[in-house]
Amino acid sequence: MATVLHRVHVFRHSNAWIFGTMLLSACLSLTASFVLSIDAVRLAADPGADLSCNINSVVSCGAVGSSWQAHLLGFPNAFLGLVAEPVVITIAAASLGRVRFPRWFMFAAQVIYTLGLIFAYWLLSQSMYVIGALCPWCLLVTVSTTLVWSTLTHVNVRDGNLFLPRRVQKALARAIDADLDAIAVTIWILIMILVVVLKYGWTLFG
Amino acid sequence: MTTEARIKSRELRNARAAAERRRKKRTRLVAAGGGLIIVGLLVAIVISLINAAGNDSSPAAQGGKAPAIATAGGALALGSTAAPVRLEVYLDYMCPYCGRFEQANSRELDKMVADGTVRLELYPLSFLDQASSGAKYSTRAANAVATVADRAPDKVLAFNAALFANQPEEGSRGLSDDEIATLARHAGVSADVVDAFTDRSFEPWITTSTQAVFNTGISGTPTVKINGKVFEGDLSTAGALTAAVTAAKGQ
Repeated sequence: MATVLHRVHVFRHSNAWIFGTMLLSACLSLTASFVLSIDAVRLAADPGADLSCNINSVVSCGAVGSSWQAHLLGFPNAFLGLVAEPVVITIAAASLGRVRFPRWFMFAAQVIYTLGLIFAYWLLSQSMYVIGALCPWCLLVTVSTTLVWSTLTHVNVRDGNLFLPRRVQKALARAIDADLDAIAVTIWILIMILVVVLKYGWTLFG
Repeated sequence: MTTEARIKSRELRNARAAAERRRKKRTRLVAAGGGLIIVGLLVAIVISLINAAGNDSSPAAQGGKAPAIATAGGALALGSTAAPVRLEVYLDYMCPYCGRFEQANSRELDKMVADGTVRLELYPLSFLDQASSGAKYSTRAANAVATVADRAPDKVLAFNAALFANQPEEGSRGLSDDEIATLARHAGVSADVVDAFTDRSFEPWITTSTQAVFNTGISGTPTVKINGKVFEGDLSTAGALTAAVTAAKGQ
């Protein structure tokens, strides 16, 4: 039992697991961004592309896609995913092939992706509490963005890429070594599931 | 090395080991706490899922009082029973495309109901309650229309048109009860009928008929049926529906 746990622990901190998870999540996120972009383009060409309110989707009438929050920068947000996720995929694939990126590069990736993560959560909260509709693809983007961010942070803390003060770096490295980050991410995602179920539970069974 | 120095280095080592042990203990405590939170969250998710599944079945069982002109299928029937064409319209007062349908076709429809061509069956549904930030606009609007249908059926079409002309944006809290009442008064509904809106007498009926409608396979709004057959033509431009009704009348 102890050896199995130890092996799992070692595997979890290996490049194969970290970058494999990052690659998979980034691919999911790219797929979702792609679907959302196509929808956005269709919606822009014809604001009534699907001229009905469907009972089976929680996004009933395309409310999310046509809101101002969906075009914060003047173009559909999903385009950002189309631009950013291939970069993450490249980093993950190259790292799986044993490429080592310079410290400043990984640091920059961390900063930019953190901004992306904040943006994803802002959008999710807008769609849930302001627009009042939930879009399954947007939810997939949020979950996979969270996973990419956590794997990126994991590897950057492990390799000391973040230019942190020594004490902070040491504390973080110890926490990751104790697998506290895995627990934190699990809690984080479970909270998201709980919020969605609490707010939309009855429609999931509609 | 002097004895003193040796003692000192041993003390230092012991202190370090103790600090390390304390740190390990703290880490284990945090991990255990995290595990507890995970279990708690899982339990909470399962409980809310069970609650959600349970809530869904309760309103259907209630039934409730139906408006005087209601059909067994959950519609408000307007116009002559002898009319050659039966037109069913499934709508939700929050649905923007129903608003467009109404805008394009209401004048023609009013005329065809008035001249006895069409027997109009309106199905006011409430599934877009989920899109009014918890204010249940669809149910409140549908209940108001059902109340008018029950006590002043000749005012239903005017009130229906007024609700769509002042349709709130999807996802907003919708019109307030007072705003709905004002629209009804302007549409010619008498004050005692308007006052009955807040009794919410027909809300259970709305819930039941919404469920019944979806059980028949209707999957969205607006859906329009001519003599029982779904109309596939253009719903948001005037003329197409009129032409289809005229064709159905000739058959």
